[in-house]
Amino acid sequence: MHEESLIRSLLRQVEELARQHQATAVAEIEVEVGPLSGVEPLLLQDAFERLRDEFSWPLSELSVLQVGLDVLCRSCQTESQLQNFRFVCLQCGSTSLQILRGDAFRLLNVIMEVDDAITARVDTDSRVGQAAISSAGPP
Amino acid sequence: MPTTTIAVNQDVLAAKKQRALEQRDRFTAQGTFVVNLVSSPGAGKTSLLQATARHWQNRFCVGVLVGDIATDRDAERLRPYVPVEQLTTGGACHLELSLVQQGLSRLPQQQYDFLFIENIGNLVCPASHDLGEHVRVVVLSTTEGDDKPGKYPKMFRTSQAMVISKSDLLPYVPFSVDAAIQDARLIQPDLVTILTSSTRDEGLQDWCQFLEDARKAMLAGRDAAQSLMTTQKGAS
Repeated sequence: MHEESLIRSLLRQVEELARQHQATAVAEIEVEVGPLSGVEPLLLQDAFERLRDEFSWPLSELSVLQVGLDVLCRSCQTESQLQNFRFVCLQCGSTSLQILRGDAFRLLNVIMEVDDAITARVDTDSRVGQAAISSAGPP
Repeated sequence: MPTTTIAVNQDVLAAKKQRALEQRDRFTAQGTFVVNLVSSPGAGKTSLLQATARHWQNRFCVGVLVGDIATDRDAERLRPYVPVEQLTTGGACHLELSLVQQGLSRLPQQQYDFLFIENIGNLVCPASHDLGEHVRVVVLSTTEGDDKPGKYPKMFRTSQAMVISKSDLLPYVPFSVDAAIQDARLIQPDLVTILTSSTRDEGLQDWCQFLEDARKAMLAGRDAAQSLMTTQKGAS
């Protein structure tokens, strides 16, 4: 049920990025969820469909990448993927595991449409913080 | 139309988590130990808080923020014991930091030793939201069944302690305390577990001792960090 509140948080961030990059449309939002994200992909899509009209830009697609639960054993330093929620290292039996992936709802990429003239400026506009930018315009 | 890919690769809740971290630091600086109490509806969160207040008998200054979808029934139950503010979410299934901060500003301003945030009865959504607490305590009642930890892994993984409540009903329900603890520790090996009955004031000594020790550890950590900073300043 909190998927709506998560989608609202997501759309606010995408809106900010679209504004910064003077996008004309947002083609795709790529997110990552895992077994401990507390997010159900199907409900996430439903919430996206319900809320997309509130968005200020034309918005096409939400793609949800589902990942596994990756952990690092603090004792033997082995990385593995848990197949259930038993937090035991399969290598050495230690229960001291650090979650590397699969416990968050992450925004991976935003693919947006931009005017030709603006594309050239995007690289110099670094207000996005750590966000890396790559242009993929038609030849 | 050319397209641009912006690689963000960041937790959608990163900004909220940062605000929660800052709020936790403020609580620590004030010496207020904050407990986020989560459970399914009817597990006995409010009764546990009543029993806690009875047990301490004003030895500590305690405040409570109590979340509910509708009504202020829980706040009314707690009002005879401690300063309490109701947070009504109007349908939302979990509390968020902004609601907690609003509630804080309405609580009588005093030096709280403990602040309890009684979350919405729900073992799912509250697991994803940091409220600036020092510990998250999940309450599991003996009437719910000992198989719940495995069914709600995120909630138990993100909690530091589990109170098994309504121990007085154990003779009447098919609930194994050992099985519940074993199931929960598969998910969260470091989980502290405490067995209580709020109606009979059983296990309250253990529960309150856990809270007092945890607050002492928080204060010790804060003071050690402060003296380290003072030493470094003196050295430079």
